[in-house]
Amino acid sequence: MGYTIAEKILAAHAGGSPVRAGDVVVADVDFAMMHDARAGNALKMAAKLGAKGLPFAKRTALVMDHYSPPPHIEAANTHKEMRAFAEQSGAVLYDVGDGICHQVMPEGGHLTAGDLIVGTDTHSVTYGAFNALGTGVEGTDVAAVMMTGKLWFRVPETIRIELKGKLKPGVWAKDVTLNMLGRLKAEGANYRALEYTGTGVAAMEIDDRMTLANHAAELGAKAALLEADEKTIAWLAAHKARTPKPVKADVDANYVERIEIDASALPPQVARQHNIDDVVGVPEVKGQRINFALIGTCTNGRLDDIRQAAAILNGQRIAKGVRMIVTPASREIYLAASREGLIEILTRAGASFEAAGCGTCVNVTGHLITGDGDVAISSANRNFKGRLGNDKSEIWVGSSATVAASALTGFITDPREVMGGKWVAGRAA
Amino acid sequence: MNNLIKGRARLLGDNINTDTNCSSKYLPGKDNAYVAQHAFEKVAPAFIGNFKAGDIIVAGKNFGINSSREQAVHVMHLMGVAAIVSHSFGRQFFRNTINNGLPALECDIGGIADGDEIEIDLASGKVSVAARGIERTVPVLPPAVRAILAEGGLITFLQKYPDWKAA
Ligand code: SF4
Repeated sequence: MGYTIAEKILAAHAGGSPVRAGDVVVADVDFAMMHDARAGNALKMAAKLGAKGLPFAKRTALVMDHYSPPPHIEAANTHKEMRAFAEQSGAVLYDVGDGICHQVMPEGGHLTAGDLIVGTDTHSVTYGAFNALGTGVEGTDVAAVMMTGKLWFRVPETIRIELKGKLKPGVWAKDVTLNMLGRLKAEGANYRALEYTGTGVAAMEIDDRMTLANHAAELGAKAALLEADEKTIAWLAAHKARTPKPVKADVDANYVERIEIDASALPPQVARQHNIDDVVGVPEVKGQRINFALIGTCTNGRLDDIRQAAAILNGQRIAKGVRMIVTPASREIYLAASREGLIEILTRAGASFEAAGCGTCVNVTGHLITGDGDVAISSANRNFKGRLGNDKSEIWVGSSATVAASALTGFITDPREVMGGKWVAGRAA
Repeated sequence: MNNLIKGRARLLGDNINTDTNCSSKYLPGKDNAYVAQHAFEKVAPAFIGNFKAGDIIVAGKNFGINSSREQAVHVMHLMGVAAIVSHSFGRQFFRNTINNGLPALECDIGGIADGDEIEIDLASGKVSVAARGIERTVPVLPPAVRAILAEGGLITFLQKYPDWKAA
Protein backbone atom coordinates (compact mmCIF):
# COMPACT_ATOMS: atom_id res chain seq x y z
CA MET A 1 0.00 0.00 0.00
CA GLY A 2 1.44 3.36 -1.07
CA TYR A 3 1.41 6.78 0.57
CA THR A 4 -0.48 10.05 0.14
CA ILE A 5 1.23 13.42 -0.31
CA ALA A 6 0.46 14.37 3.31
CA GLU A 7 1.94 11.10 4.62
CA LYS A 8 5.08 11.56 2.54
CA ILE A 9 5.67 15.20 3.48
CA LEU A 10 5.18 14.51 7.19
CA ALA A 11 7.41 11.40 7.04
CA ALA A 12 10.18 13.34 5.32
CA HIS A 13 10.03 15.99 8.05
CA ALA A 14 9.84 13.54 10.95
CA GLY A 15 13.08 11.67 10.41
CA GLY A 16 12.30 9.80 7.21
CA SER A 17 10.60 6.62 8.39
CA PRO A 18 7.20 6.02 6.78
CA VAL A 19 4.15 7.32 8.62
CA ARG A 20 0.47 6.52 8.20
CA ALA A 21 -2.73 8.48 8.72
CA GLY A 22 -3.52 8.53 12.43
CA ASP A 23 0.13 8.52 13.60
CA VAL A 24 1.32 11.43 15.71
CA VAL A 25 4.76 12.76 14.77
CA VAL A 26 7.09 15.55 15.84
CA ALA A 27 8.25 17.11 12.57
CA ASP A 28 10.64 19.83 11.38
CA VAL A 29 8.78 22.90 10.17
CA ASP A 30 10.27 24.79 7.20
CA PHE A 31 8.59 28.15 7.81
CA ALA A 32 5.95 29.64 10.10
CA MET A 33 3.64 32.61 9.93
CA MET A 34 1.68 34.65 12.44
CA HIS A 35 -0.66 37.51 11.58
CA ASP A 36 -1.77 40.49 13.60
CA ALA A 37 -5.09 38.99 14.74
CA ARG A 38 -3.18 36.27 16.61
CA ALA A 39 0.18 37.90 17.22
CA GLY A 40 -0.88 39.26 20.61
CA ASN A 41 -1.42 35.74 21.94
CA ALA A 42 1.49 34.19 20.01
CA LEU A 43 4.00 36.75 21.31
CA LYS A 44 2.75 36.19 24.86
CA MET A 45 3.41 32.46 24.45
CA ALA A 46 6.80 33.19 22.84
CA ALA A 47 7.71 35.39 25.81
CA LYS A 48 7.07 32.45 28.13
CA LEU A 49 9.62 30.44 26.14
CA GLY A 50 11.88 33.42 25.52
CA ALA A 51 14.54 32.64 28.12
CA LYS A 52 15.86 29.81 26.01
CA GLY A 53 15.96 31.97 22.90
CA LEU A 54 13.98 31.66 19.71
CA PRO A 55 16.55 30.58 17.12
CA PHE A 56 13.89 29.72 14.53
CA ALA A 57 12.18 33.13 14.63
CA LYS A 58 14.19 33.94 11.50
CA ARG A 59 12.06 31.41 9.68
CA THR A 60 8.84 33.08 10.77
CA ALA A 61 6.92 35.83 9.02
CA LEU A 62 4.88 38.37 11.00
CA VAL A 63 2.13 39.89 8.88
CA MET A 64 -0.07 42.92 9.57
CA ASP A 65 -3.05 42.20 7.36
CA HIS A 66 -6.25 41.86 9.37
CA TYR A 67 -6.07 45.20 11.17
CA SER A 68 -4.97 46.95 8.05
CA PRO A 69 -5.12 49.80 8.84
CA PRO A 70 -5.55 49.38 12.62
CA PRO A 71 -9.06 50.51 13.63
CA HIS A 72 -8.29 50.89 17.35
CA ILE A 73 -5.44 51.47 19.78
CA GLU A 74 -5.29 47.81 20.82
CA ALA A 75 -4.50 46.79 17.20
CA ALA A 76 -2.04 49.65 16.71
CA ASN A 77 -0.22 48.53 19.85
CA THR A 78 -0.12 44.92 18.62
CA HIS A 79 1.51 46.25 15.45
CA LYS A 80 4.09 48.10 17.50
CA GLU A 81 4.83 44.92 19.41
CA MET A 82 5.20 42.95 16.16
CA ARG A 83 7.63 45.48 14.70
CA ALA A 84 9.73 45.41 17.86
CA PHE A 85 9.71 41.60 18.04
CA ALA A 86 10.79 41.27 14.40
CA GLU A 87 13.59 43.74 14.93
CA GLN A 88 14.92 41.90 17.95
CA SER A 89 14.36 38.28 16.84
CA GLY A 90 15.18 38.52 13.14
CA ALA A 91 11.67 37.44 12.09
CA VAL A 92 10.51 38.59 8.66
CA LEU A 93 8.08 41.51 8.88
CA TYR A 94 5.27 42.47 6.52
CA ASP A 95 3.80 45.82 7.48
CA VAL A 96 0.36 47.35 6.87
CA GLY A 97 -0.31 47.49 3.12
CA ASP A 98 2.13 44.74 2.14
CA GLY A 99 -0.65 42.22 1.78
CA ILE A 100 -2.49 39.22 3.18
CA CYS A 101 -0.37 36.59 4.92
CA HIS A 102 -1.32 33.81 2.49
CA GLN A 103 -0.24 35.95 -0.46
CA VAL A 104 2.99 37.39 0.91
CA MET A 105 4.19 33.98 2.14
CA PRO A 106 4.52 32.47 -1.35
CA GLU A 107 5.35 35.82 -3.01
CA GLY A 108 8.16 36.33 -0.52
CA GLY A 109 9.66 32.98 -1.51
CA HIS A 110 9.16 31.57 1.99
CA LEU A 111 7.84 28.20 0.86
CA THR A 112 8.56 25.63 -1.79
CA ALA A 113 7.22 22.29 -3.03
CA GLY A 114 7.50 19.53 -0.43
CA ASP A 115 7.65 21.96 2.51
CA LEU A 116 5.87 21.76 5.85
CA ILE A 117 4.48 25.18 6.78
CA VAL A 118 2.32 26.37 9.68
CA GLY A 119 0.47 29.64 10.18
CA THR A 120 -1.88 31.07 12.80
CA ASP A 121 -4.76 30.98 10.36
CA THR A 122 -7.06 28.29 8.98
CA HIS A 123 -6.42 29.46 5.41
CA SER A 124 -2.77 28.41 5.73
CA VAL A 125 -3.97 25.47 3.61
CA THR A 126 -3.39 27.84 0.65
CA TYR A 127 0.27 26.74 0.46
CA GLY A 128 -0.91 23.36 -0.80
CA ALA A 129 -1.29 25.03 -4.20
CA PHE A 130 2.52 24.83 -4.33
CA ASN A 131 2.69 21.21 -3.12
CA ALA A 132 3.58 22.40 0.40
CA LEU A 133 1.68 21.05 3.38
CA GLY A 134 0.35 24.24 4.95
CA THR A 135 -1.87 24.03 7.99
CA GLY A 136 -3.46 26.31 10.57
CA VAL A 137 -2.22 26.37 14.16
CA GLU A 138 -2.36 28.76 17.14
CA GLY A 139 0.03 31.02 19.01
CA THR A 140 1.44 28.31 21.27
CA ASP A 141 2.32 26.26 18.19
CA VAL A 142 4.17 29.09 16.47
CA ALA A 143 6.00 29.91 19.70
CA ALA A 144 7.09 26.26 19.88
CA VAL A 145 8.29 26.38 16.26
CA MET A 146 10.26 29.59 16.87
CA MET A 147 11.98 27.92 19.79
CA THR A 148 12.58 24.39 18.48
CA GLY A 149 11.92 24.43 14.73
CA LYS A 150 9.52 21.54 15.31
CA LEU A 151 5.88 20.80 16.03
CA TRP A 152 3.63 17.81 16.70
CA PHE A 153 1.18 16.72 14.03
CA ARG A 154 -1.42 14.02 13.63
CA VAL A 155 -1.01 12.56 10.14
CA PRO A 156 -4.33 13.21 8.36
CA GLU A 157 -6.42 10.84 6.26
CA THR A 158 -6.79 12.05 2.68
CA ILE A 159 -9.71 12.57 0.30
CA ARG A 160 -8.74 12.51 -3.36
CA ILE A 161 -10.68 14.82 -5.65
CA GLU A 162 -10.23 14.45 -9.37
CA LEU A 163 -11.33 17.24 -11.71
CA LYS A 164 -12.08 15.61 -15.04
CA GLY A 165 -12.09 17.72 -18.19
CA LYS A 166 -11.50 21.46 -17.97
CA LEU A 167 -13.50 24.32 -16.55
CA LYS A 168 -15.43 26.22 -19.24
CA PRO A 169 -14.55 29.88 -19.84
CA GLY A 170 -16.21 32.01 -17.17
CA VAL A 171 -15.99 29.21 -14.59
CA TRP A 172 -13.17 29.26 -12.03
CA ALA A 173 -11.65 27.37 -9.12
CA LYS A 174 -14.03 29.19 -6.76
CA ASP A 175 -16.94 27.50 -8.50
CA VAL A 176 -15.27 24.13 -7.83
CA THR A 177 -14.71 24.86 -4.14
CA LEU A 178 -18.28 26.10 -3.70
CA ASN A 179 -19.54 22.97 -5.42
CA MET A 180 -17.41 20.86 -3.06
CA LEU A 181 -18.89 22.74 -0.08
CA GLY A 182 -22.36 21.94 -1.38
CA ARG A 183 -21.41 18.26 -1.59
CA LEU A 184 -19.38 17.68 1.58
CA LYS A 185 -20.90 20.55 3.59
CA ALA A 186 -18.98 22.96 5.82
CA GLU A 187 -16.40 21.10 7.94
CA GLY A 188 -17.23 17.95 5.95
CA ALA A 189 -13.51 17.25 5.61
CA ASN A 190 -12.64 17.95 9.27
CA TYR A 191 -9.18 16.52 10.24
CA ARG A 192 -8.61 15.40 6.63
CA ALA A 193 -6.24 16.40 3.89
CA LEU A 194 -7.52 16.89 0.36
CA GLU A 195 -5.59 16.06 -2.80
CA TYR A 196 -6.84 17.87 -5.89
CA THR A 197 -5.75 16.26 -9.13
CA GLY A 198 -6.76 15.74 -12.76
CA THR A 199 -6.80 17.62 -16.06
CA GLY A 200 -8.99 20.34 -14.57
CA VAL A 201 -6.28 21.20 -12.04
CA ALA A 202 -3.45 20.95 -14.56
CA ALA A 203 -5.23 23.50 -16.77
CA MET A 204 -5.53 26.04 -13.96
CA GLU A 205 -3.14 28.94 -13.55
CA ILE A 206 -1.40 29.38 -10.19
CA ASP A 207 -3.80 32.10 -9.03
CA ASP A 208 -6.76 29.78 -9.48
CA ARG A 209 -4.93 26.86 -7.86
CA MET A 210 -4.38 29.03 -4.79
CA THR A 211 -8.14 29.60 -4.61
CA LEU A 212 -8.71 25.85 -4.89
CA ALA A 213 -6.38 25.11 -1.96
CA ASN A 214 -7.41 28.16 0.09
CA HIS A 215 -11.13 27.51 0.19
CA ALA A 216 -10.58 23.98 1.54
CA ALA A 217 -10.45 25.69 4.95
CA GLU A 218 -14.25 25.99 4.92
CA LEU A 219 -14.42 22.23 4.40
CA GLY A 220 -12.48 21.94 7.65
CA ALA A 221 -9.49 20.46 5.84
CA LYS A 222 -6.13 20.26 7.58
CA ALA A 223 -4.35 20.59 4.23
CA ALA A 224 -5.24 20.78 0.54
CA LEU A 225 -2.48 19.48 -1.67
CA LEU A 226 -1.79 19.77 -5.37
CA GLU A 227 1.09 18.17 -7.22
CA ALA A 228 3.85 20.43 -8.52
CA ASP A 229 4.13 20.74 -12.32
CA GLU A 230 6.12 23.04 -14.61
CA LYS A 231 3.84 25.97 -13.81
CA THR A 232 4.48 25.48 -10.09
CA ILE A 233 8.22 25.15 -10.50
CA ALA A 234 8.41 28.23 -12.75
CA TRP A 235 6.34 30.29 -10.31
CA LEU A 236 8.48 29.25 -7.35
CA ALA A 237 11.67 30.04 -9.25
CA ALA A 238 10.33 33.47 -10.24
CA HIS A 239 9.74 34.18 -6.55
CA LYS A 240 13.16 32.92 -5.48
CA ALA A 241 11.80 30.08 -3.38
CA ARG A 242 14.17 27.38 -2.09
CA THR A 243 14.80 24.38 -4.38
CA PRO A 244 11.51 22.50 -4.85
CA LYS A 245 11.25 18.91 -3.57
CA PRO A 246 8.05 17.86 -5.38
CA VAL A 247 6.04 15.12 -3.71
CA LYS A 248 3.57 12.92 -5.58
CA ALA A 249 1.09 10.43 -4.16
CA ASP A 250 1.65 6.75 -4.94
CA VAL A 251 -0.88 5.23 -7.34
CA ASP A 252 -1.89 2.75 -4.64
CA ALA A 253 -2.08 5.35 -1.87
CA ASN A 254 -4.76 4.83 0.74
CA TYR A 255 -7.63 7.37 0.50
CA VAL A 256 -10.64 7.55 2.78
CA GLU A 257 -12.74 8.79 -0.11
CA ARG A 258 -12.44 9.44 -3.84
CA ILE A 259 -14.55 12.09 -5.53
CA GLU A 260 -14.79 12.85 -9.24
CA ILE A 261 -16.08 16.13 -10.58
CA ASP A 262 -16.83 16.72 -14.26
CA ALA A 263 -15.20 20.16 -14.44
CA SER A 264 -16.42 20.79 -17.99
CA ALA A 265 -20.07 20.51 -16.91
CA LEU A 266 -19.86 22.90 -13.95
CA PRO A 267 -21.72 26.25 -14.17
CA PRO A 268 -20.71 29.21 -11.95
CA GLN A 269 -21.77 28.57 -8.35
CA VAL A 270 -22.90 30.82 -5.55
CA ALA A 271 -23.34 30.27 -1.81
CA ARG A 272 -26.59 31.81 -0.62
CA GLN A 273 -26.80 34.08 2.41
CA HIS A 274 -25.50 32.91 5.82
CA ASN A 275 -24.34 29.39 4.89
CA ILE A 276 -21.25 28.71 2.83
CA ASP A 277 -22.54 25.20 2.04
CA ASP A 278 -25.94 26.37 0.79
CA VAL A 279 -24.72 26.34 -2.79
CA VAL A 280 -26.62 26.62 -6.09
CA GLY A 281 -25.67 27.23 -9.72
CA VAL A 282 -25.77 30.94 -10.56
CA PRO A 283 -28.22 30.24 -13.44
CA GLU A 284 -30.77 29.10 -10.84
CA VAL A 285 -30.71 32.41 -8.97
CA LYS A 286 -33.30 34.78 -10.40
CA GLY A 287 -33.91 38.41 -9.53
CA GLN A 288 -31.65 38.54 -6.44
CA ARG A 289 -30.76 42.19 -5.93
CA ILE A 290 -27.38 43.25 -4.50
CA ASN A 291 -26.13 46.49 -2.92
CA PHE A 292 -22.45 45.76 -2.39
CA ALA A 293 -19.87 43.94 -4.49
CA LEU A 294 -16.54 42.95 -2.94
CA ILE A 295 -13.50 41.59 -4.69
CA GLY A 296 -10.51 40.65 -2.60
CA THR A 297 -9.43 38.41 0.32
CA CYS A 298 -6.98 35.52 0.39
CA THR A 299 -9.49 33.48 -1.59
CA ASN A 300 -9.96 35.74 -4.62
CA GLY A 301 -7.92 38.93 -4.41
CA ARG A 302 -5.23 37.95 -6.90
CA LEU A 303 -4.29 39.37 -10.29
CA ASP A 304 -6.42 36.90 -12.26
CA ASP A 305 -9.41 37.84 -10.11
CA ILE A 306 -8.90 41.53 -10.81
CA ARG A 307 -8.47 40.70 -14.50
CA GLN A 308 -11.79 38.85 -14.50
CA ALA A 309 -13.53 41.87 -13.03
CA ALA A 310 -11.83 44.27 -15.44
CA ALA A 311 -12.78 42.13 -18.44
CA ILE A 312 -16.42 42.39 -17.43
CA LEU A 313 -16.43 46.06 -16.44
CA ASN A 314 -14.15 47.47 -19.16
CA GLY A 315 -15.88 50.56 -20.57
CA GLN A 316 -18.95 49.87 -18.41
CA ARG A 317 -20.38 51.38 -15.28
CA ILE A 318 -21.60 49.37 -12.29
CA ALA A 319 -25.35 49.52 -11.57
CA LYS A 320 -26.76 52.58 -9.87
CA GLY A 321 -26.92 52.16 -6.11
CA VAL A 322 -24.24 49.48 -5.97
CA ARG A 323 -21.01 50.09 -4.06
CA MET A 324 -18.02 48.07 -5.22
CA ILE A 325 -14.73 47.62 -3.38
CA VAL A 326 -11.62 45.92 -4.72
CA THR A 327 -8.82 44.99 -2.31
CA PRO A 328 -5.74 43.44 -3.93
CA ALA A 329 -4.29 40.60 -1.89
CA SER A 330 -0.82 42.17 -1.91
CA ARG A 331 1.16 45.24 -2.83
CA GLU A 332 2.74 43.25 -5.70
CA ILE A 333 -0.71 42.45 -7.08
CA TYR A 334 -1.75 46.08 -6.74
CA LEU A 335 1.31 47.13 -8.75
CA ALA A 336 0.76 44.48 -11.42
CA ALA A 337 -2.90 45.50 -11.74
CA SER A 338 -1.78 49.09 -12.09
CA ARG A 339 0.73 48.22 -14.83
CA GLU A 340 -1.99 46.39 -16.75
CA GLY A 341 -4.37 49.36 -16.51
CA LEU A 342 -6.88 47.34 -14.48
CA ILE A 343 -7.09 49.87 -11.68
CA GLU A 344 -8.08 52.58 -14.14
CA ILE A 345 -10.71 50.33 -15.77
CA LEU A 346 -12.30 49.35 -12.46
CA THR A 347 -12.10 52.81 -10.92
CA ARG A 348 -13.79 54.32 -13.99
CA ALA A 349 -16.44 51.63 -13.73
CA GLY A 350 -17.28 52.90 -10.24
CA ALA A 351 -15.24 50.62 -7.98
CA SER A 352 -12.93 51.91 -5.25
CA PHE A 353 -9.60 50.34 -4.41
CA GLU A 354 -8.27 49.75 -0.93
CA ALA A 355 -4.73 49.17 0.24
CA ALA A 356 -3.71 45.50 0.11
CA GLY A 357 -4.76 43.41 3.10
CA CYS A 358 -7.72 41.42 4.36
CA GLY A 359 -9.89 44.43 3.60
CA THR A 360 -13.61 43.86 3.84
CA CYS A 361 -13.38 40.09 4.33
CA VAL A 362 -14.57 40.43 7.87
CA ASN A 363 -15.75 43.42 9.83
CA VAL A 364 -12.54 44.42 11.58
CA THR A 365 -11.56 47.69 9.96
CA GLY A 366 -15.10 49.04 9.75
CA HIS A 367 -14.58 49.96 6.09
CA LEU A 368 -17.83 48.36 5.03
CA ILE A 369 -20.85 48.62 7.23
CA THR A 370 -23.93 47.21 5.56
CA GLY A 371 -27.37 48.60 6.32
CA ASP A 372 -30.35 46.54 7.46
CA GLY A 373 -31.61 44.40 4.61
CA ASP A 374 -28.58 45.11 2.39
CA VAL A 375 -27.19 42.31 0.28
CA ALA A 376 -23.49 41.95 -0.50
CA ILE A 377 -21.95 39.61 -3.03
CA SER A 378 -18.38 38.83 -2.18
CA SER A 379 -15.43 36.86 -3.52
CA ALA A 380 -14.48 35.97 0.08
CA ASN A 381 -14.62 32.55 1.70
CA ARG A 382 -17.21 32.89 4.45
CA ASN A 383 -20.65 34.41 4.65
CA PHE A 384 -22.04 33.67 8.07
CA LYS A 385 -24.57 36.07 9.49
CA GLY A 386 -22.95 39.25 10.69
CA ARG A 387 -19.50 38.66 9.17
CA LEU A 388 -19.70 42.20 7.79
CA GLY A 389 -20.92 43.56 11.11
CA ASN A 390 -24.69 43.60 10.61
CA ASP A 391 -26.65 40.42 11.12
CA LYS A 392 -29.65 42.02 9.45
CA SER A 393 -27.82 42.00 6.12
CA GLU A 394 -26.88 39.17 3.76
CA ILE A 395 -23.64 38.01 2.19
CA TRP A 396 -23.59 35.82 -0.90
CA VAL A 397 -20.32 34.32 -2.14
CA GLY A 398 -19.13 33.67 -5.69
CA SER A 399 -16.13 33.99 -8.00
CA SER A 400 -14.70 37.41 -8.85
CA ALA A 401 -16.30 37.10 -12.28
CA THR A 402 -19.72 36.50 -10.72
CA VAL A 403 -19.20 39.41 -8.32
CA ALA A 404 -18.25 41.77 -11.17
CA ALA A 405 -21.14 40.64 -13.38
CA SER A 406 -23.51 41.18 -10.46
CA ALA A 407 -22.08 44.64 -9.79
CA LEU A 408 -22.72 45.48 -13.42
CA THR A 409 -26.39 44.51 -13.43
CA GLY A 410 -27.27 45.02 -9.76
CA PHE A 411 -28.54 41.42 -9.59
CA ILE A 412 -26.71 38.15 -9.04
CA THR A 413 -25.63 37.40 -12.58
CA ASP A 414 -23.93 34.61 -14.50
CA PRO A 415 -20.67 36.15 -15.75
CA ARG A 416 -21.03 34.29 -19.04
CA GLU A 417 -24.14 36.28 -19.83
CA VAL A 418 -22.60 39.73 -19.80
CA MET A 419 -20.41 41.33 -22.41
CA GLY A 420 -16.77 40.65 -21.54
CA GLY A 421 -17.74 37.66 -19.46
CA LYS A 422 -17.21 35.00 -22.10
CA TRP A 423 -13.40 34.75 -22.14
CA VAL A 424 -13.52 33.40 -25.70
CA ALA A 425 -9.93 34.39 -26.33
CA GLY A 426 -8.41 32.62 -23.36
CA ARG A 427 -8.82 32.01 -19.67
CA ALA A 428 -8.08 35.36 -18.16
CA ALA A 429 -8.81 38.64 -19.94
CA MET B 1 -1.85 15.21 35.42
CA ASN B 2 -4.01 12.48 36.77
CA ASN B 3 -5.11 9.86 34.29
CA LEU B 4 -8.37 9.36 36.16
CA ILE B 5 -10.86 12.21 35.94
CA LYS B 6 -14.25 12.17 37.65
CA GLY B 7 -16.90 14.84 37.50
CA ARG B 8 -20.42 15.87 36.71
CA ALA B 9 -21.44 15.74 33.05
CA ARG B 10 -22.66 19.06 31.70
CA LEU B 11 -24.29 18.66 28.32
CA LEU B 12 -23.96 20.88 25.26
CA GLY B 13 -25.31 20.28 21.75
CA ASP B 14 -23.85 19.80 18.27
CA ASN B 15 -21.68 22.18 16.24
CA ILE B 16 -20.76 24.54 19.07
CA ASN B 17 -18.43 27.26 17.86
CA THR B 18 -16.17 28.14 20.78
CA ASP B 19 -14.95 31.32 19.05
CA THR B 20 -18.45 32.76 19.34
CA ASN B 21 -19.35 31.07 22.63
CA CYS B 22 -16.18 31.00 24.64
CA SER B 23 -13.80 33.75 23.49
CA SER B 24 -13.78 37.51 23.12
CA LYS B 25 -13.70 37.36 19.33
CA TYR B 26 -16.96 39.27 19.25
CA LEU B 27 -16.41 41.00 22.59
CA PRO B 28 -13.31 43.08 21.95
CA GLY B 29 -11.65 44.33 25.09
CA LYS B 30 -13.41 41.84 27.41
CA ASP B 31 -11.07 39.73 29.49
CA ASN B 32 -11.15 35.97 30.04
CA ALA B 33 -12.81 36.33 33.44
CA TYR B 34 -15.75 38.16 31.83
CA VAL B 35 -16.02 35.62 29.02
CA ALA B 36 -15.89 32.75 31.53
CA GLN B 37 -19.00 34.15 33.23
CA HIS B 38 -20.94 34.25 29.97
CA ALA B 39 -19.62 31.20 28.14
CA PHE B 40 -22.13 29.29 26.02
CA GLU B 41 -24.93 31.67 27.04
CA LYS B 42 -26.13 32.01 23.46
CA VAL B 43 -26.58 28.28 22.88
CA ALA B 44 -27.51 27.15 26.41
CA PRO B 45 -28.70 30.03 28.62
CA ALA B 46 -28.80 27.95 31.83
CA PHE B 47 -25.43 26.27 31.28
CA ILE B 48 -22.99 28.66 32.88
CA GLY B 49 -25.13 29.35 35.96
CA ASN B 50 -25.05 25.64 36.82
CA PHE B 51 -21.45 25.01 35.91
CA LYS B 52 -19.04 24.27 38.75
CA ALA B 53 -15.29 23.85 38.71
CA GLY B 54 -14.48 20.17 38.20
CA ASP B 55 -17.43 19.54 35.87
CA ILE B 56 -16.91 17.76 32.56
CA ILE B 57 -18.30 19.14 29.32
CA VAL B 58 -20.13 16.46 27.32
CA ALA B 59 -20.89 17.74 23.84
CA GLY B 60 -22.31 16.52 20.54
CA LYS B 61 -20.76 16.58 17.10
CA ASN B 62 -18.02 19.01 16.08
CA PHE B 63 -17.39 20.71 19.41
CA GLY B 64 -15.15 23.74 18.87
CA ILE B 65 -15.91 23.89 15.17
CA ASN B 66 -14.50 26.84 13.22
CA SER B 67 -12.61 27.77 16.31
CA SER B 68 -9.02 28.66 16.14
CA ARG B 69 -8.52 30.82 19.21
CA GLU B 70 -6.80 29.03 22.03
CA GLN B 71 -8.32 31.69 24.25
CA ALA B 72 -11.40 29.42 24.34
CA VAL B 73 -9.35 26.80 26.20
CA HIS B 74 -7.88 29.44 28.54
CA VAL B 75 -11.45 30.47 29.35
CA MET B 76 -12.44 26.84 30.01
CA HIS B 77 -9.51 26.53 32.43
CA LEU B 78 -10.86 29.59 34.27
CA MET B 79 -14.29 27.95 34.40
CA GLY B 80 -12.60 24.89 35.90
CA VAL B 81 -13.55 22.49 33.10
CA ALA B 82 -11.93 19.17 34.09
CA ALA B 83 -12.20 17.52 30.68
CA ILE B 84 -14.29 17.46 27.51
CA VAL B 85 -15.94 14.39 26.06
CA SER B 86 -17.43 14.99 22.65
CA HIS B 87 -18.70 12.98 19.71
CA SER B 88 -16.10 14.84 17.59
CA PHE B 89 -14.05 18.04 17.72
CA GLY B 90 -13.14 20.86 15.38
CA ARG B 91 -9.56 20.24 14.29
CA GLN B 92 -7.91 23.40 15.55
CA PHE B 93 -9.85 23.37 18.80
CA PHE B 94 -8.65 19.84 19.52
CA ARG B 95 -5.04 20.95 18.95
CA ASN B 96 -5.55 23.82 21.33
CA THR B 97 -6.88 21.56 24.10
CA ILE B 98 -3.71 19.44 23.98
CA ASN B 99 -1.41 22.45 23.75
CA ASN B 100 -3.09 23.98 26.78
CA GLY B 101 -3.35 20.86 28.89
CA LEU B 102 -7.10 20.24 28.80
CA PRO B 103 -7.97 16.55 28.33
CA ALA B 104 -10.38 16.05 25.43
CA LEU B 105 -11.68 12.68 24.29
CA GLU B 106 -13.73 11.65 21.29
CA CYS B 107 -16.49 9.30 22.37
CA ASP B 108 -20.07 8.33 21.61
CA ILE B 109 -22.07 10.35 24.15
CA GLY B 110 -25.43 8.60 23.61
CA GLY B 111 -27.31 7.90 26.87
CA ILE B 112 -25.31 10.35 29.00
CA ALA B 113 -27.58 12.89 30.71
CA ASP B 114 -26.89 16.30 32.20
CA GLY B 115 -25.72 15.92 35.78
CA ASP B 116 -24.52 12.31 35.46
CA GLU B 117 -21.39 11.35 37.36
CA ILE B 118 -18.90 10.49 34.65
CA GLU B 119 -15.45 8.95 34.87
CA ILE B 120 -12.65 9.13 32.33
CA ASP B 121 -9.50 7.03 32.32
CA LEU B 122 -7.01 8.61 29.91
CA ALA B 123 -4.50 5.78 30.22
CA SER B 124 -6.86 2.99 29.23
CA GLY B 125 -9.25 5.08 27.11
CA LYS B 126 -12.39 4.44 29.15
CA VAL B 127 -15.42 6.67 29.53
CA SER B 128 -18.03 5.43 31.99
CA VAL B 129 -21.22 6.42 33.77
CA ALA B 130 -21.62 3.73 36.42
CA ALA B 131 -25.19 4.70 37.37
CA ARG B 132 -26.34 4.00 33.83
CA GLY B 133 -24.15 1.00 33.16
CA ILE B 134 -22.32 2.92 30.42
CA GLU B 135 -18.73 1.90 29.81
CA ARG B 136 -17.17 2.86 26.50
CA THR B 137 -13.67 2.25 25.25
CA VAL B 138 -12.12 4.87 22.98
CA PRO B 139 -8.72 4.92 21.29
CA VAL B 140 -6.17 6.17 23.83
CA LEU B 141 -4.41 9.41 22.97
CA PRO B 142 -0.97 8.72 21.46
CA PRO B 143 1.92 8.81 23.97
CA ALA B 144 3.41 11.99 22.41
CA VAL B 145 0.13 13.78 23.05
CA ARG B 146 -0.31 12.38 26.55
CA ALA B 147 3.17 13.54 27.43
CA ILE B 148 2.19 17.13 26.50
CA LEU B 149 -1.05 16.86 28.47
CA ALA B 150 0.80 15.41 31.44
CA GLU B 151 2.95 18.54 31.65
CA GLY B 152 -0.08 20.81 31.50
CA GLY B 153 0.44 21.92 27.90
CA LEU B 154 3.04 22.53 25.23
CA ILE B 155 4.72 25.58 26.80
CA THR B 156 5.45 23.84 30.10
CA PHE B 157 6.34 20.66 28.21
CA LEU B 158 8.98 22.47 26.14
CA GLN B 159 10.32 24.31 29.17
CA LYS B 160 11.06 20.89 30.60
CA TYR B 161 11.89 19.01 27.37
CA PRO B 162 13.27 21.56 24.87
CA ASP B 163 14.29 18.70 22.56
CA TRP B 164 10.73 17.26 22.54
CA LYS B 165 11.99 14.07 24.15
CA ALA B 166 9.92 13.32 27.23
CA ALA B 167 12.08 11.24 29.55
S1 SF4 C 1 -8.56 37.61 3.80
FE1 SF4 C 1 -10.17 36.99 5.22
S2 SF4 C 1 -10.03 34.78 5.39
FE2 SF4 C 1 -8.13 35.51 4.45
S3 SF4 C 1 -6.69 35.74 6.13
FE3 SF4 C 1 -7.70 37.71 5.84
S4 SF4 C 1 -9.50 37.74 7.22
FE4 SF4 C 1 -8.76 35.61 7.02
